[in-house]
Amino acid sequence: MRRFFGMLKSHHISSDHYDRHSWHLSRATRSHVGAAIALLTSASLVLAGCGSASSQSADTSDDGKMMTVDVFDQIGNVGGLQKGWFAKIIKDKFKIRLNYITPNVSGGGDSLFDTRTAAGNLGDLIITNTGDGRLAKLVKAGLLTDMTPYMKNETYLKKFKSSAQQVEKLAGKKGIWGYGQDVSDRSPSEPAEIYAPKAAPYIMWNYYREIGYPRIKNLDDFVGVLKRMQDQARKDTGKNDIWALSLFKDWDGNAMANAQIMTNWYGFWQEGQVLAYGNGTQRQTSLDRKGIYQKTLRFLHKCEAAGIVDPDSSTQSWDQRTTKMNNEKILMTFWSWDGKLKVNSAENKAKGVGFELAPLEDQKDYVSGNLPNGNIGSIIAIGSKAKNKQRLVNFINWLYSPDGMYSSAAVSGTPCPKGLCWVMKNGQPALTDFGEKAFYNPAGLNVPASWGGGGFAEGQSGLNFQTVNYSDIDPSTHEPFDPRVWKSELAKKNPLDSDWSAHMGGAKTDMEYLEKHHEYVVQPGASYASPEEDSQISTVRNQINTAIIQHSWKAVVANSDAGFDSEISKMIDTANGLGFAKIQKIDDANIAAHVKACDEVVAQYKAKH
Amino acid sequence: MSQQKATDAPATDQAKAATVQPSLATAMAATSKPTESLESVKEYQEKRRKAEGKHHWNDEKRHGFHLFLLVSPLLLFSILFSYYPLFGWVYAFYDYQPPIPLSESKFVGWQWFTMLWSNPTQLRAIGQVLLNTFGISGLGIITSFFPVMFAIALNEIRSKWFRNLIQTLTTLPNFISWVLVYAIAFALFSSTGMVNSVLQNLGWIHKPIHFLDSGSHVWLKMWAWSTWKGLGWGAILYLASLTGIDPELYEAAQVDGANRWQQIIHITVPQLLPTYFVLLMLSVSNFLNNGMDQYFVFQNAFTQEHIQVLDLYVYNIGMGQNSLSLATAISMLKSVVSVILLWAVNTASKKIRGVSIV
Repeated sequence: MRRFFGMLKSHHISSDHYDRHSWHLSRATRSHVGAAIALLTSASLVLAGCGSASSQSADTSDDGKMMTVDVFDQIGNVGGLQKGWFAKIIKDKFKIRLNYITPNVSGGGDSLFDTRTAAGNLGDLIITNTGDGRLAKLVKAGLLTDMTPYMKNETYLKKFKSSAQQVEKLAGKKGIWGYGQDVSDRSPSEPAEIYAPKAAPYIMWNYYREIGYPRIKNLDDFVGVLKRMQDQARKDTGKNDIWALSLFKDWDGNAMANAQIMTNWYGFWQEGQVLAYGNGTQRQTSLDRKGIYQKTLRFLHKCEAAGIVDPDSSTQSWDQRTTKMNNEKILMTFWSWDGKLKVNSAENKAKGVGFELAPLEDQKDYVSGNLPNGNIGSIIAIGSKAKNKQRLVNFINWLYSPDGMYSSAAVSGTPCPKGLCWVMKNGQPALTDFGEKAFYNPAGLNVPASWGGGGFAEGQSGLNFQTVNYSDIDPSTHEPFDPRVWKSELAKKNPLDSDWSAHMGGAKTDMEYLEKHHEYVVQPGASYASPEEDSQISTVRNQINTAIIQHSWKAVVANSDAGFDSEISKMIDTANGLGFAKIQKIDDANIAAHVKACDEVVAQYKAKH
Repeated sequence: MSQQKATDAPATDQAKAATVQPSLATAMAATSKPTESLESVKEYQEKRRKAEGKHHWNDEKRHGFHLFLLVSPLLLFSILFSYYPLFGWVYAFYDYQPPIPLSESKFVGWQWFTMLWSNPTQLRAIGQVLLNTFGISGLGIITSFFPVMFAIALNEIRSKWFRNLIQTLTTLPNFISWVLVYAIAFALFSSTGMVNSVLQNLGWIHKPIHFLDSGSHVWLKMWAWSTWKGLGWGAILYLASLTGIDPELYEAAQVDGANRWQQIIHITVPQLLPTYFVLLMLSVSNFLNNGMDQYFVFQNAFTQEHIQVLDLYVYNIGMGQNSLSLATAISMLKSVVSVILLWAVNTASKKIRGVSIV
């Protein structure tokens, strides 16, 4: 405003001569200004109109040319073009190059999704979360392709059509809009993991052995044991930067992620701020002082007080923590797929060094059941502006095939393709030397030139989309996709696993041990994604999430127990003040709906089999 | 605002009228009788209008049109960049959630605004953000004489190469982006950074000091960083005006027996004051715009409460929490506060100096 007036003013006082005209001019100008405004307004309307138009006519023609496919991948962790051996496989098979567009890499939360959707083209291939009505919005805005006309020869997609039906229900519009993750042929009441639960306490077993396998009755004991392990590790190596725990903030969503994941150790899962045990019992919220979330927060605080938490925790990223993990600077992790895959190399295992499941006696690890309809929390779909749609549907179909599974190694939990990573020996699948390295410790491993060359890890699929559950049986080998439970693998012996097994009552896999001690609980595998909520509610929810994350971190690093309690009190007051009750009501309803979906899917499976 | 005021002002206040009332100014300039009454001005205008009716496109008009063409690009730019974006304010009245286009979004009226003061906790959140904004900007303004002192001190250094060295070293940080500044800060002050390592190795402390991840003294720390980054740069203008001071003043003072300190106090400082006040006014007008990149890179769960300034808050809500409509509403509030501040400064200026700024 000021600038505008200022300009006129300076014009007037500049000279009497010019002044004489300016007033008349500005009268004459008015129509010009009016015209300009009209022009701009119409331009903005035209621009706004861009996003809404979309055609849904089926076009099965294919130009047969090599094409670059833009993949909007919400759960991917790499950006740019697919490299290496996976790139070669899909180039040979489909003549496509994948170009990943990943919010995780670009940062800025949902802004990439917002800008791309507002522009009317999210990508050719789309891997997106569906919760909170996101899928319905995408379908409503005409950004997804209905795959129905392209389904003629798609064997695997037809096999898993129940997943597409669940997606259709969520989308609220008839059509095949996409497929969920992790679909399975097996019973929803059986654990989806046959080797190890995703979240459970894992420790550097060699230090645990050195301090004499002390009992770990509960989390309080665990603090002491970890402290002794840290002292031992520092004494053995002479390095003072070894820490029992190293936390990070990157995954904080609706609470402090590191504390949240530990609620899984005790059988809890959650919708928003409400947690439930197993199949929906023992409901509680993050604000319950005696609840599981605050119990795990307190555990982290005790670790902090004991001086066994990496002081970088509050500032470092997941990547920085991963480097430390690779360098064996961290002694405990929350996940089975973390330390074990990064530290347990063949050489380390031969020395008896590596991560193993800790015998925490009161653990009751949460395990999801198999998902007959897949996990539709994130789906793979095709954008409405994509070219050669038939080819893309063929590509998705292939991803759900055994061949596609093996080609997506590392992401899918399988070894890489037959011939390179595994062979049939005596009628059983067995890992090759290359395959063993590739599966357990791919760092620095190079792929033979005939398979495309380059580093193995750099060349693996960047889609990060698990199509079929790796516990499912591959009909060609009659064994699961997961090589860790192959007969040939279980027969192999190494000092680390043998020692662990001897100490854990002869158990061959983590699940076997947990089953014997009744230390896991299964939530039946239902496809569920939370429905859309009022945007005012979700704004309040976001504010509450931020407050809970902030105070959780402050509580964990507080100087004293009193400091911990006062931060917890602030957290509870702020969250309640912002309207926690409203959020809790919605999350309670979502939990109930999720539980209902679980019951339904179990009944459905029983009726079929 | 000032235009309206001026219309009510009597025609005798020539200076004021000339600056803001075009028709009067034109008329008076034409008659060259500034003190003439309003009646004759009106008469004159009447005559002119009649004359125009006869020949529509006279030379004067053509000349004026050419002049208009000269300013029109600037007009266009100011419309494009200052007024056209205001169109975006409509988002504050809708429930906008991409990818649903605005045309299909729900109209919610003042919902987002009422939400801001719907309960005490919300109000406290906004209050804290405003407090941070005012606090950090206030610290900057209170210490805005630092560059003056620095420039004077620099000017008093006799050795030329040393002065140049200091000036280069202090100006350099201005050209480093905040992201890189944070990288430096992290290397130095993180829990395992240089400072903590040195202190620990010396045995002075046993637990690392949380420089970056603690909520205390955030304003001061932020002020210190921005001062470190901007001090040398801020002194450049003063150094320029220092060279413009008439050397005769110093010579005269020396003749009168003034020592160096007295010369600084009685000559340098008064000579620099006009520049200082112009810059001070500029920084006051930027009171709310303390930017966000610095605070964005330094924010984490521990600092957030005290580091969230208005711009960062809008970003966090809009981009971080995906509530674009609410973010728009808050940024509109910023405009309202700006207008209030402007009005206050303007009123104060009129009262104190008798001249309005706007």
